[in-house]
Amino acid sequence: MARTESAIRTETFYPYPPARVWRALTDPVALAAWLMPNDFQPVLGHRFTFRTEPVPPYFDGVVHCEVLELDSPRTLAYSWRGMAGMDTVVRWELTGTTRDGVAGTLLVGVHSGFDLTDPAQLGGFRSMSGGWGGAMVSALDTVLATIEREE
Amino acid sequence: MPTDVYAAIADPTRRGILDLLAEDGRSVTELAAPFHMTRPAVSQHLRVLREAGLVSERRAGRRRIYQLAPDGLREVDLWLSSYRRFWHTKLAALGEYLAETDGQD
Repeated sequence: MARTESAIRTETFYPYPPARVWRALTDPVALAAWLMPNDFQPVLGHRFTFRTEPVPPYFDGVVHCEVLELDSPRTLAYSWRGMAGMDTVVRWELTGTTRDGVAGTLLVGVHSGFDLTDPAQLGGFRSMSGGWGGAMVSALDTVLATIEREE
Repeated sequence: MPTDVYAAIADPTRRGILDLLAEDGRSVTELAAPFHMTRPAVSQHLRVLREAGLVSERRAGRRRIYQLAPDGLREVDLWLSSYRRFWHTKLAALGEYLAETDGQD
């Protein structure tokens, strides 16, 4: 699927060992510091939420998650549901590596499952704007910018 | 009335056609072979894709070549690009967090 693929892939190098990056991904206090307030626990099958300011009527401020994979300090995945019907998965892979002579961790993130051919996701997404175009994009940007501003 | 872009890409054959066209423009005959379909069946799918603004056609001599319309899938890209920006911001925040807490654990 070249053009219809619907996932976001990020690759980030951090000059710290995998165990430290793993802690930042799996400790609820650390997660709250860089991502969002949460009740995450590093337990397979644990259901938790990320919480942020609601942006009515598009987003009630709650992202519903469940730990799907947990292999310390290499792999972590959780479902990511919220924001108008979206049903996606966030997966992290940590690999110890060296870049420019500096030892550290390559963190690969894949946020997959964005599927506007799924009627539930499409319906939810459309409800954010009542249609396509600039209004929808600014509504989504407002929601995400609110989350970004969270301390 | 333009065809709904997501109705157009909901069909797996049409997604397959888009993926082939992403590599290079092709004629109806060239598209029919890999899908073991008749030319009229392919033409029908191409009509849906064209009405959704996903595919355009050009003439090359006597042949008609179908190709991806550059802006067709932009709406899907817009949805993803908002999240892409979200994660880049958050991953930068993770870097700052790691730097600030360095030596504390």
